[in-house]
Amino acid sequence: MEQLSQISNIAFWTALCLYAVAMVFDFYYLGFRREGAWKIANVLSWAGLAVQAVSVVTRGIAAGHLPWGNMYEYSSIVALIMVAVEKLVVELRYKVRTVAGFVLLAAVATMLIAGTALYRDPGPLVPALDSAWLMIHVILVITASALLMLGAGVLSPLFLVKVRQERRGAAAIGATRVPRGESEGATADDPPGFEPGADEPVGSASMAATATATVAAAATAPPGAGSPLLAKRGILPPSETLDRLAYRTIAVGFVVWTFAVIAGAIWAQRAWGRYWGWDPKEVWAFITWVVFAGYLHARATAGWKGTRAALLASVGFVVVLFTYYVVNIFIVGLHSYAGVS
Amino acid sequence: MRTALILLLLLAVGAVAGSLIPQVGISDDKISQMFVDHPLRATVYEATGLFDVYGSWWFTLIYALLLTSLAACLFPRTRALLRTLRTRPQPARELDSMRLYVERSVAVPPGTVLDRSANILRRKRFRVDRVGGAVPQVAADKGIAREAGSLLFHWAFFLIVIGIFYGKGTGFTGYAVIPEGTTWTEAHANYDGTAREGRFFNENHTGAQVRVEEFTVVYEPDGTPQEFTTTAELLHGDGTSAGTADIELNAPGSVDGVDFYQYGYGWAPVIEVTDADGEILFSGPVIFEQDRAPKGISQAAMPWTGAVKLPSLRPQVGVAFRLLPDPETALVSEMTDEPIPVLKPSHPVLALRVFEGDLRLDVAQRVTELDPVGLQERRSGIVPLGEDVRIGGGVTVSFPELREYTVLQVGRDAGVGIMLLAAILILGGLLPALYSSRRRVWVRADPAPHGSVLKVGGFALQRRSEFEEEFARLVEAMARATDHASAIESETERT
Repeated sequence: MEQLSQISNIAFWTALCLYAVAMVFDFYYLGFRREGAWKIANVLSWAGLAVQAVSVVTRGIAAGHLPWGNMYEYSSIVALIMVAVEKLVVELRYKVRTVAGFVLLAAVATMLIAGTALYRDPGPLVPALDSAWLMIHVILVITASALLMLGAGVLSPLFLVKVRQERRGAAAIGATRVPRGESEGATADDPPGFEPGADEPVGSASMAATATATVAAAATAPPGAGSPLLAKRGILPPSETLDRLAYRTIAVGFVVWTFAVIAGAIWAQRAWGRYWGWDPKEVWAFITWVVFAGYLHARATAGWKGTRAALLASVGFVVVLFTYYVVNIFIVGLHSYAGVS
Repeated sequence: MRTALILLLLLAVGAVAGSLIPQVGISDDKISQMFVDHPLRATVYEATGLFDVYGSWWFTLIYALLLTSLAACLFPRTRALLRTLRTRPQPARELDSMRLYVERSVAVPPGTVLDRSANILRRKRFRVDRVGGAVPQVAADKGIAREAGSLLFHWAFFLIVIGIFYGKGTGFTGYAVIPEGTTWTEAHANYDGTAREGRFFNENHTGAQVRVEEFTVVYEPDGTPQEFTTTAELLHGDGTSAGTADIELNAPGSVDGVDFYQYGYGWAPVIEVTDADGEILFSGPVIFEQDRAPKGISQAAMPWTGAVKLPSLRPQVGVAFRLLPDPETALVSEMTDEPIPVLKPSHPVLALRVFEGDLRLDVAQRVTELDPVGLQERRSGIVPLGEDVRIGGGVTVSFPELREYTVLQVGRDAGVGIMLLAAILILGGLLPALYSSRRRVWVRADPAPHGSVLKVGGFALQRRSEFEEEFARLVEAMARATDHASAIESETERT
């Protein structure tokens, strides 16, 4: 057991180092677009993922329970899921390679805090935590946190940066049209009676990679295409791509978060005899839910979509961090056995 | 939607206030501390409901307004959806101005093209209408689940409000303190003032009974409890047995719709007091409690104290007890005043202090404490388990047995089922609301020299890049079904 726990720790720090080095190469790729740098980063990240998976599994065996019993274990899986989603979804499905460095930065930071300030040796669970619904609740919260941190903590802020760049670029070359990452609303072929652009921006300049271009889609030009802006596109992916990636990630995160809150309520009913009690952690889970619900609605509301929605997502990210770190460590409540004090 | 969005964010801001300011029922001692330290601030907080945010008029107002704005939005949307469900997919006037539009030359006549395209769309679960008239065409649409899911999701919040008010209004919660070997009856008086009953509860206590046979607790080496179990027989209100239950954390017991949750426990020494003639003045398990541990001291190390009040004696006598795990620690504790944890006492000892005077039982006071105002301490002593001690006036105190008591949280919430249904609807509605998309496809076929020209147009309101792929696949399937080879193939298949 002792040995396994050590293997887990070594694997944890190895993964952290692999991510850190991969991050450097990813940023190099971002700046200079050298294919080789991305390839190295890619191999290192996958190696990091494999090693970290070993760390999580051995930790679980050493502790004798599913490895999400305290903040250290929780943080490690959050980082693992963030990197895995970036690799599998952002890079493989959406073919966007340029955000990898930022995601790894978030993962490395999460793991550094976990490995130093939050580290605890594996041990038995507090009795109240020993329940199937709770285990479901926690893994759902972990997954949702990872997705929300990825979407709201990395992709949305990058979107905001990119929008500023694009605007400045537009101003610099005197372009009359300023793309703001917003949907262009109803177009000619939307017959009346249909709500225009209910949740997604129209154009697909960047997403064309995913769309099989067999159709006449190209006939209707995506906004911004052909303008000098695309030619001078900067190092980050176009704001529309970032906005859509952020939206997709946050939407999945929101669904999982909703399920997590429900699972938590079911457990609370069994353990404490009430499904909801305005315990600090419950309050902050609620606030997180409300802010991201706000984001999803804002993205479909005229005047809010684009920059304002992204700002709301960034607020949501701060709320997620607050819920996790501040509420766990500093605010006393029924949830405060998360393994810190 | 903008109003709803702002109200939603206001709700979040209100909730933040509730998590940062101590709340009634969660941290009452912090509130009273604030009244001492910052009386002005505390008064302002209290007046504005900031100590009870989630029950305050303004929090209620925010969510009432939010629900109103939601309903105002949902009613027309629901009506529109029902209308859409009743009508057939609309034909289109022009196809070639659609966002997605394709023409293909195919080998079969126009009528067959439309039939087969309609079949393909049907197989892909589109709603399909074969429109005749001047320009025959196939009109199809899909993705009503998106709007339906969204409506389900939002309507479910009204169900949540109903579930909360119904459950809390007709239910109650309270705490039952039950020593081992005793039976507790579910009735208002037996909650010792802890019962909180809903507005529409109407004193509907069940009279169900809990006969606690045994309470066991297993400690970690460092003194933190690992698991605790109340083994109890549950009885219906009419006295028939409902079976034996092991009530543990995460495993409540239930009888007559009332749930019993393991909440706490403590020591209940059995104490017997007799007078000079051997008449029993008091006999039974006495609930001992711990004070809340000050900062830096483990709760386990806090002393267990209890009291026996003897109002029939003149002057009245009160005995304050303190439980110690064995005589040595009793001595150490007496000399050093250091707290000693009482986990599994080997040779338990009761230290006692005898007071005489006026117990002031007409003044509200706790069962486990003496009111010191009218009392003078006369003597002190100790009584080990199984022995007795004289406390003067011919009165004898004996300590025949050490038992434990269990604290069960008792409650009934008939709204839980409604809440569960609402939760299922919320999740069930959220998925299609986010991942389905409203899309439309039209097919026409113009006659051509060797068959016809297949014309397909369509658009999606959401998830457009996904629809581009889907549209391409549909067109591909239609073209395949209507080209010459497959036409022959499907003909032979049919025969």
